[in-house]
Amino acid sequence: MSENNSQNIDLQKEGKATFHRGSALSIFKSDRAEDLVALVCALLIALGVYVLVG
Amino acid sequence: MVYTKKHPALLIMGVLLVALAAATDAGLLDGIVEYLKIGKKTGEMTGMSYFFGIVGVLVGAWHLWGKHEEGNLDYYLSSVAGAIFILFIAMIVTWFAAPWIAVISKSMGPVMADKYLHDVLGLNYVVIGILAGIITVNVFKIPGWAENGVRLSRLGLKTGVILLGTLYSLAELVYLGKLSVVMIGFFVLGSVGLVLYLGGRRKIPNSMGGVLSAGMGVCGVSATVAAAPVVQAKPTEIAYTIGTILIWGVGCMFLFPVIGHVLNLGHIQFGAWAGTGILNSAQVAGAALAYQPDGIETLKVAEIFNITRVLFLPIIVLWLAIWYVRREESAAGTQVNVGRVVIEKFPLFVLGFILMFALSSTGIFAPAQHYQGKYFDNKLAESKLLTAEETALLSAEISKIQSPSRAEALARLIEGRKIANIDDDAEIRGLTNSRVLSKEANDILKKAHGAVYHTAKKVAKFRQWITWLFAFGLTGLGMQITGAAMRQAGGQPLVIGGIVGTLKAVLSLIVILLFVKETI
Repeated sequence: MSENNSQNIDLQKEGKATFHRGSALSIFKSDRAEDLVALVCALLIALGVYVLVG
Repeated sequence: MVYTKKHPALLIMGVLLVALAAATDAGLLDGIVEYLKIGKKTGEMTGMSYFFGIVGVLVGAWHLWGKHEEGNLDYYLSSVAGAIFILFIAMIVTWFAAPWIAVISKSMGPVMADKYLHDVLGLNYVVIGILAGIITVNVFKIPGWAENGVRLSRLGLKTGVILLGTLYSLAELVYLGKLSVVMIGFFVLGSVGLVLYLGGRRKIPNSMGGVLSAGMGVCGVSATVAAAPVVQAKPTEIAYTIGTILIWGVGCMFLFPVIGHVLNLGHIQFGAWAGTGILNSAQVAGAALAYQPDGIETLKVAEIFNITRVLFLPIIVLWLAIWYVRREESAAGTQVNVGRVVIEKFPLFVLGFILMFALSSTGIFAPAQHYQGKYFDNKLAESKLLTAEETALLSAEISKIQSPSRAEALARLIEGRKIANIDDDAEIRGLTNSRVLSKEANDILKKAHGAVYHTAKKVAKFRQWITWLFAFGLTGLGMQITGAAMRQAGGQPLVIGGIVGTLKAVLSLIVILLFVKETI
C-alpha cells in the first residue's frame, strides 16, 4: 500500500460503490487482504510447529 | 494523518509484562500459581510475557520518543499498542480470571454429573474474554492510542479458524455412519434455512440473520466466527449469537438428560440426540456425561456427531456468502452472478481451514487416525506394560464386574498386560468411570489407558495457538460492543434462536426415536 492510500484504509469497493466501512474490525484494505494475511500467519505457525515441536 | 500517539501506555505495558515474566521465572508467583492450579501454564506465562513485553518496550519507546510520519510504518506500528492492550487483558483473563472462577466453582462441588458450575454455565476464557472487552469499552472506553490495534482482533479470529482444521482428521470419517451424516446434514442445513427464513420474517438485519444461522446450525463459537466476515456481521451481532447459543446450551444440558431418562433412551440414541440438538461442544459433552456418568459410550457417539457438524462448516459459509450478496443486491435492485460471488466472496480463510484439515489427514502433525490430537497406539515397551502384581490385583476383582463386554476387555488386558484395541480402551474407560472396582484397581486401569492413549505434541501446540488467537480476537471483539449497540440489536435473536433450537431438539428427538436403534 502506498503512502497516499494508506490513510484510506476504511474505504471499500463493492461494484461501482465506494464507501467507508466505519466500524469494521479490520486494519486491512479488504476482506480478501485480511484473509490472505490470516492464511500466511496460519501457514507460518503450522511450519513453526511442524519444524520445532516434537 | 499520523496514527501513532505519543503515549507511554505501550511502554508501561511492556515493562509490566517483562516484570510478570521475571516474577514467574523467579518463582515469586508460586503461591498464586498453586492456588489457581495453573502450574502447566507457567511456561507460556514466562515465554509469552517476555516476548510481548520486549516488543512492547521497543515499540513503546518508538511511540513515545520516535519521529512519526504519515505512511505504512506509522499505520501498522501504531496498531501494536492496541494489540498488546488486547493481549494484556486476554492474558489476565486466561491466566488469572478464568482459573480463579474455576477454583471458586470447584470449591462448590459438582452440580451435574462430574461437571462444575463454570462448566455448566460455559464460564471459560471465551465468555470471560468477551465480557472483559465489553466492560473495558463501556466502563473505561477504548483509549485513542489503542483504537487502531483493536481492529486486529478479526485477523486473530480468522487465523484461529484456519488452525482449527489441524484438530481433525479424515480418518475419523470411518467412524461416521451414513445415518449420522444424513441426520446432521438435515438438521444443520434445516436450522440455517429456518433461521434465515425467520430472520427475514421478523425483519432482523441480514448480517444478524446470517451469523445467527451459522451459530444455530453448525456449532457455537467457531462457526459464528467463521461466518461473521462473510455476512459483514457487527461485533454486537456476533456476541448476541454466542450468547444465544450458550444460554440455549445451558438449558439443554439440564433438560436433555431428564427427558432422555423419562423416555428411556439408549446410550447411542441419547448421544445422537445431544450431538444434534445441543449447539456448544462443551455442553454436548456435559449432557452426555450427565446421562451416562459410568461410561463413555454416550459421549463417544455425541463426539462423532459433533465432528460431523464441523465438516459442514465450509458448505454453510458458501451458502451464506451467496445468500448475503443476493439479499443485499436484490434490495439494491441489481443482478447477482453466483459464480462471481463464489470467486469474490468465498473467504480464503475457510479454504485455509480445509487445507489444514487435509494436511492433518495426511498424518504430518499426528498419526492420521487422530481426533483432536488424541490417538490409540498399543505398541509398548516392556516398562509400560502392567506388572504381575497389578494383573493379579485386577484378576482378584474381575468377578465384581457385571457387564460381559467390560469383563472381557479386562480379561484381555490381564492376559496381554496392555489394552488390546481401541474398543477395549473405551470399555476400560467406562469401567473406570463406573467405580465398580477398588481405587487401587482403578488407578491401574488409568495407567493402562494412559499407556496406549497418546496426545500428539504438535496438535497440543496448535490447540494452544488456537486458544490464544481466540482469546485475543474475542477480547478485542468485546471491545467493540457498546451498551447502545446491544440495545439497538434488541431481543429478536434470542426469540429466533429459541424457536429454531426448540424445533431442532424436538424434531431430532422424533427422528432418533424412529430410526436410531443401537447402531449408527
